[in-house]
Amino acid sequence: MRLTYDLGCLIHHEVIPLFELFVAKKHLVSRRRQTLLVVGAVALAVAITILFRSLINGFETTLNEIIFQFVPHVTVLPEGSESYIHLYKTLIETIWEIPGVMAVSPALSTTASFAHDDHVENVVLRGVVPYELNMISKIGIDYMVAGDLDSIQNGRRVALDQGLADELEVNLGDTVQVSFPDARTMSLVVSGIFDTGGFSTNYAYVSMETARDFLGEGNVVTDVQIKLEDIYQADEVASELEARGYNAESWQSQSGIVETIESRRFTNTLIMLLVIVIASFGIANIMNLLVLEKTREIGMMMAMGAAPKSVRKIFLIESGILGLAGGLGGCLIGYLIASYVNSLAIAISSGPSFSVILTFIVDPWDILAFPLITLLLSVVAGVYPAHQASKLDPVIALRG
Amino acid sequence: MSNIIEIKKLRKVYGDGVELVALDDVDLTIEEGEVLAIVGPSGSGKSTLLNMIGLLDTPSGGEIWLKGQNITKASPKERARLRNKELGFIFQYHHLLPEFTAVENVMMPLLIAGMDKKEARHRAITLLEEVGLGDRLNNRPNQLSGGQNQRVAVARALAGHPSIVIGDEPTGNLDSKSSDMIYELLRKLNREMNQTFILVTHDMDMAEKTDRILRLVDGRIVCEMRREGDEFVSRDICRAD
Ligand SMILES: Nc1ncnc2c1ncn2[C@@H]1O[C@H](COP(=O)(O)OP(=O)(O)O)[C@@H](O)[C@H]1O
Ligand SMILES: [Mg+2]
Repeated sequence: MRLTYDLGCLIHHEVIPLFELFVAKKHLVSRRRQTLLVVGAVALAVAITILFRSLINGFETTLNEIIFQFVPHVTVLPEGSESYIHLYKTLIETIWEIPGVMAVSPALSTTASFAHDDHVENVVLRGVVPYELNMISKIGIDYMVAGDLDSIQNGRRVALDQGLADELEVNLGDTVQVSFPDARTMSLVVSGIFDTGGFSTNYAYVSMETARDFLGEGNVVTDVQIKLEDIYQADEVASELEARGYNAESWQSQSGIVETIESRRFTNTLIMLLVIVIASFGIANIMNLLVLEKTREIGMMMAMGAAPKSVRKIFLIESGILGLAGGLGGCLIGYLIASYVNSLAIAISSGPSFSVILTFIVDPWDILAFPLITLLLSVVAGVYPAHQASKLDPVIALRG
Repeated sequence: MSNIIEIKKLRKVYGDGVELVALDDVDLTIEEGEVLAIVGPSGSGKSTLLNMIGLLDTPSGGEIWLKGQNITKASPKERARLRNKELGFIFQYHHLLPEFTAVENVMMPLLIAGMDKKEARHRAITLLEEVGLGDRLNNRPNQLSGGQNQRVAVARALAGHPSIVIGDEPTGNLDSKSSDMIYELLRKLNREMNQTFILVTHDMDMAEKTDRILRLVDGRIVCEMRREGDEFVSRDICRAD
């Protein structure tokens, strides 16, 4: 009748052995409330972190799209202490020789005071060629709400931003007084109003000739804007122009926005990781309680021949399952909320031809990384209680 | 018959300040298939002796030999392996795992040994049927009476076919009817499988049904009685008390 199992020989070979998994699963299932509570806490922390990161991703993507509609990829500015670029025709020829250049737009830019009735506003007044400007930012094509941009070519005319028009209380056809110290005061008729949803606040465009007359300057410009086929070519193009003796800046070096977003994302992710760490150490707490509560049973398992290593594994597996479940649950919750909010298409800002929709872009790497992070954290959190359990003296443990 | 356990000058001393000698140079030989009762007043060292034999505790001095192997200084891992393979425990409290059903509790030592679940379940069911709990397989400890739980504990102790079954007051919490039932069960299994039983008991009626009775006082064996037919014959070391 005696069966010949070579007991003991079969054990200790599997990574997650049957016995340990069996006990660990039972503990978790039978203490359903505590399990759900701690998994919920970890899941919540993960979900919030993922949503935050996705929101930044969405925000960044949207912002990039907008930035690249309005911001030139490379801007050439006057050399050192100079106020103007004098031989700009040569510069433009040089620029067009660079491969990948899509548009070039010189401008004569200055600040000026715009007055209408009692209203006075400081304005960025730029003398441009409408056709060239449109190649850079499509203002005259996509963003006009009244009149048109080409009209500034016809004498003393100005096209200005909707916000500016509101402040000055001017409409199409009204006349504004434009002045600035050392400049010739002139009257300009409003012949165009554009609205970019906040990207051209206090901008006004006039013809190159009007700007020259206003400043009393000759055939000079203050900057030349360049648009490229590939935005990431900007640094290269800028340094090429630098090498030819010009002062050129790429969008990367000009706009601090991208770096700001990156650093914001980084610091916030750190803070949220800390929250996840705290949530995960809730697991350590649960495990400590569990080991206390199960002392006699651990003693009995040891009497039945469970090695210290097995006992340790039980509690490590348990905390690992809690962490993994929390991580996966958090990803699921985060993903579902993101999808739901995306489907609502909530507009947070809008212009005449575009609107910024609240968009969560969930990074697939996050979905992979967070369950792994919480798994790792929870196993680390389980190390101490598991070690305590494995160190129990069976005789004392059995006495309770 | 061969000796399954040999104990030589076994000592256990507790405490760092005031020393307490729980076992005082105990010599004992146990034969394979024997049913041995250990009696004695509370605090005399019975549990301490069982825990040594059961490899749950380590001695302060002396030697323990199990099946011809000196296991006095075996590693914790080796001791765990031997407990699983050679020993079965029944305590005063059943110490069943509360979340698990009767079958799952009996499967436990087999799963620890690495047996697959299906085979372990099959063996556990057979054992529970043998202890008369074939209709209570899926009940948890809180759904069973004290006597039933202790029978589950007996089935669990026997599950891994241990060569030695150790019972520390296995019927200490039971009424006399349940006690008799447990004892009869153990005796039957002893006859069928030639397992060695070492039982600590306060119940002299039960002790008198065994093959040999040891009396422990203050950590020493003060009396040894051996069954000869229906009579127990005292060895000369016995003093009157
Ligand atoms: N872990 C321990 N620490 C200190 N003293 C102990 C410990 N375990 C048992 N003792 C003492 O050893 C003696 C024998 O105890 P024990 O073997 O439990 O006796 P019995 O089982 O015969 O009642 C008692 O005096 C007891 O107080
Ligand atoms: Mg005792």
